[in-house]
Amino acid sequence: MSKRAVQEVTFLILTALAGGSQHGYGIINDVEQISQRRVRLGAGTLYAALERLREDGLIEVDREEVVDSRLRRYYQLTSSGAERLAEEADRLRANAQVAISRLRTNPTDGAARA
Amino acid sequence: MTNSTDLERRYRRLLAFYPKAFRQEREEEVVSVLMAGAKDGQQWPRLRETTDLVANGIGMRLRPLRRPTSWELSHPAPSVLGRIFIGIWLLVLTAFLSQTESLWGLTLLLPAALQFYLGFRVAAGIERDGETDGPPSVRPPGLGA
Repeated sequence: MSKRAVQEVTFLILTALAGGSQHGYGIINDVEQISQRRVRLGAGTLYAALERLREDGLIEVDREEVVDSRLRRYYQLTSSGAERLAEEADRLRANAQVAISRLRTNPTDGAARA
Repeated sequence: MTNSTDLERRYRRLLAFYPKAFRQEREEEVVSVLMAGAKDGQQWPRLRETTDLVANGIGMRLRPLRRPTSWELSHPAPSVLGRIFIGIWLLVLTAFLSQTESLWGLTLLLPAALQFYLGFRVAAGIERDGETDGPPSVRPPGLGA
């Protein structure tokens, strides 16, 4: 069960944190950049995902800061979070490689060429 | 300035959809994220923000209902029997109500299904990781940090 594919949002958040610890708003912006502006997380979606990831032990709180009297909490990957992300990235790469090589050898008429 | 405090107050009002424990721990943090993402002069939460907060807040409130408690996972036998008993009782009540009252009684099928599902999860959870008491999601994650 725990080896189920992670959802894209989860994958993107873990990827954002793979570059170092970040606070909530930083994660939202980074995820937008990683996904090439395709995914803009709402705060509700972000914190639902962070809660789950924290319960699963994949991320943890790194530190807190107060900037302009606003609380910022920084999150970082745990070692099992990094492990999980690496597994998932390998899995996605393997799938993508199969897809690309099949499309190369056996392109569907028209559409797939583009 | 008044604009931003108005906006903040409205964001905080939306956070009332979240469980109290979450708000106590996270409200300031979530508000700071929301305010950081707000546009200059914005006075009201955007529609997308509102639906996102409301849906996730309600989702978080309902979450405990969808998971067996740790007590249940450490006492599987009485828990599964209890869940099945409540589920069956709800089914009987459903049949009775939908015949004598109205078809609204059928809405009880939902909690009944939930009971069976949770009973199943307890049973399956125990079968899968027999050596641990806790639910799978709180297994110690190796050595963090």
